[in-house]
Amino acid sequence: MAAEPTTRELRALVAGYEFDRGHLLPALIAIQERYGYVSRRAMEALARQLGTTPALVYGAVSFYADFRTEPPPRREIVWCSGPACRLRGGDRIREALQHTLGLPLDGQSADGACGFRLGQCNGTCSEAPQVWLDGEVVGGLTVAAAVALAREVMEDGAS
Amino acid sequence: MNDRFAAIAAGARERRDASRSSGRPRIALCLDTSSRARGGEATLAALREAVAARGLDVEIATTGSWGFCWLEPTVSVRSAAGSRTVLYHSLTPDRVEEFLRAVIVEAGEFPELALGVVEGPATDRIGLLRDHPFMRGQVRRLMANCGRIDPASIDDALANRAYEGFVTALDMEPAAIIELMLESGLGGRGGGGFPAGRKWDFLRNATADPRYLVCNADEGDPGAWVNRILMEGDPHLIVEGMLIAALATHAVEGYVYIRHEYPLAIERMNEAVRQARERGLLGEDILGSGKTFDLVVFTGAGSYVCGEETGLINSIDGYRGMPRIRPPFPAQAGLWNLPTNVNNVETYANAPLILREGAAWWSSVSDDDAKGTKMFTFSGAVNQSGCVEIPFGLSVRELLERYGGGVPGGVPLKGYQPGGPLSGILPAAEADLPLTLAPFRERGMFLGSGGIVFFDETASVVDLCTYFLGFAEDESCGRCTTCFQGTQRAVEILRRIASGGGRETDLDKLGDLIQTMIWSNCLHGQFAPTTVKLALREFRSEFETLIREKRDPTRSLPGMIAYEITNPTAPALAGAAAVCPTAAIVADGAGHAIVDELCIRCDACREVAPEAIAIRDRFA
Ligand SMILES: Cc1cc2nc3c(=O)[nH]c(=O)nc-3n(C[C@H](O)[C@H](O)[C@H](O)COP(=O)(O)O)c2cc1C
Ligand code: FES
Repeated sequence: MAAEPTTRELRALVAGYEFDRGHLLPALIAIQERYGYVSRRAMEALARQLGTTPALVYGAVSFYADFRTEPPPRREIVWCSGPACRLRGGDRIREALQHTLGLPLDGQSADGACGFRLGQCNGTCSEAPQVWLDGEVVGGLTVAAAVALAREVMEDGAS
Repeated sequence: MNDRFAAIAAGARERRDASRSSGRPRIALCLDTSSRARGGEATLAALREAVAARGLDVEIATTGSWGFCWLEPTVSVRSAAGSRTVLYHSLTPDRVEEFLRAVIVEAGEFPELALGVVEGPATDRIGLLRDHPFMRGQVRRLMANCGRIDPASIDDALANRAYEGFVTALDMEPAAIIELMLESGLGGRGGGGFPAGRKWDFLRNATADPRYLVCNADEGDPGAWVNRILMEGDPHLIVEGMLIAALATHAVEGYVYIRHEYPLAIERMNEAVRQARERGLLGEDILGSGKTFDLVVFTGAGSYVCGEETGLINSIDGYRGMPRIRPPFPAQAGLWNLPTNVNNVETYANAPLILREGAAWWSSVSDDDAKGTKMFTFSGAVNQSGCVEIPFGLSVRELLERYGGGVPGGVPLKGYQPGGPLSGILPAAEADLPLTLAPFRERGMFLGSGGIVFFDETASVVDLCTYFLGFAEDESCGRCTTCFQGTQRAVEILRRIASGGGRETDLDKLGDLIQTMIWSNCLHGQFAPTTVKLALREFRSEFETLIREKRDPTRSLPGMIAYEITNPTAPALAGAAAVCPTAAIVADGAGHAIVDELCIRCDACREVAPEAIAIRDRFA
């Protein structure tokens, strides 16, 4: 697993961001893009740069679904929670994936091998029901196919 | 006409004409998010590879969507002479070789995958694209360039009349621009339908400076992707719309707030802004007019209420995206408490058309009370999930039949949701309503932003209620007890009903909740229970059957069913046992049995062994 970024690296990354110019979200996105997550140290460094408190930064981090506060898993299944997917058995797929992976929604395995997350419909509903595996759409799923996919991901993550 | 602009546009047209008369055929692949989901990138790679391997002299370009989302990747081919273009669909990598042989090497056509002729005459085997059943009745104004131009090329946009409306506006007084917008009757496309001209006038008359524009590209309604189609297909139309609004309102800076689920739209909008700046269409002294306006593309981070305009403003300002208490309205105190105008993507995108072609032309497209065209996407129980642009007033059923291709498998339609999780649901009997604002308002709901979700008789309305209320609960910002606790209580009650524990008093309790949620600060809390409200009115017996008879007529609610093995010795059961995520299917003597306590009702086993496993009512 990558080492946690140092305060010095973090300060260099966020230098130039200003609170009064609407830079809180862009800075958090930049941190997550670089390191995959927003650590406590990152929130502190950003608060200092923006001249605000870690509490305010944390307030934003915890508000938005997209921010992670732990390193991302090596492999990840994002489940589409949207209506077209639901109408084609999406919720049964979620149930099966949760049990196969042994993870709740938005959970990840202790060793960081795999994760399971809730995703929002982005208008590829012709592929319903779908998940995103490491960012790629896997559509037209059956429950059995989803179970097979999850097992494959777990085997992969374990090796 | 502005001289600088005339020169810029002429240059763009020259480059377009040069490409046309180059004697090289042009293959243009749609590469929007839907196409990517269907393997568009692989098709593009295969095309490039095959063209290089055969040493073919072909221009390869990418475009946005034509709206045929379920048939991606779509590809148009312009002939070497530059005078004929044909659109094809479903071009998978394995068909690229034969496709290229037909359309390039043999300079012919490929009728098997043809959708229609875009440019040039029809033949016996390929009709005109505009006569395709999916295109008939559509009026493509906002989408005029979608699929046709390369969204990453400002030249392509300029050669197709981009920024002409803005240049017209440059010679007009702000009041005259607003007059024209009012005359057109353009209403906000984000769901509310508020006249855009009036909103712009509020900002024009604001007393503080600087003032801002915001383009709401959060498009949070699951099942709606009309804004995405525009941003990915013709981003300059939105830049131009905001420029016109800036002229009318004296705004100096604008923000395009795009949800993070739309990385491609973010990329395309950023690229469009960069190119517009480079050509002097954004920034200081635009086209030598002395006017200043610039745009920032701002990425969201996953929050539905950030689509609410004041939540969005808080989000840019650097706070949790919690909707504010209004008044003050954004026109008085928006971004950084300065005057701000918020409009939806599609609202801004109409302004260039109104300026360029005039209000009368724009609004005469139909005689409906709601003026102009509207983009719709449809999903769920449809054979074809795509995007259309039509005048207001077509009936929901016509949209389903003509464009959505009807309900799959001949299952009867049960109902639909017109526009997003807050808008409510209606039964199939109400499918003859015209797609316009008034009829939905009369029913205590709203048409919404353009995403329509259809459901058929296999769907449980109680499940849909649980889903939409659960969504509202997850996305509640937490400010109002009526909203965050109200949604939570409603979900609890719905879950109870859906798993056989419903009580006679539950329906009244839901009714009480609906009454208190109305007191929430923003529309999120106020409209969160609309689905339940409408469901109790239109589908009440389904709730009653669940509560009184403990029976789910759709046999889809996990809490109301059980799985049973009907043929214990069927060989397929070994596969069913293997796929079961909870090992609920066990060997039992010579055959198999299901351990009910382990079964999670996911249906994987029945997919594998449909002849040997059946669903029964759990409480029968
Ligand atoms: C919970 C909630 C979510 C909303 N989401 C969006 C959205 O994603 N896009 C949008 O344009 N409007 C959305 N709206 C409506 C906006 O608040 C606002 O009315 C709209 O952006 C105004 O633009 P218009 O006048 O051009 O329609 C939402 C409203 C609420 C209450
Ligand atoms: S609902 Fe899953 S992609 Fe739209």
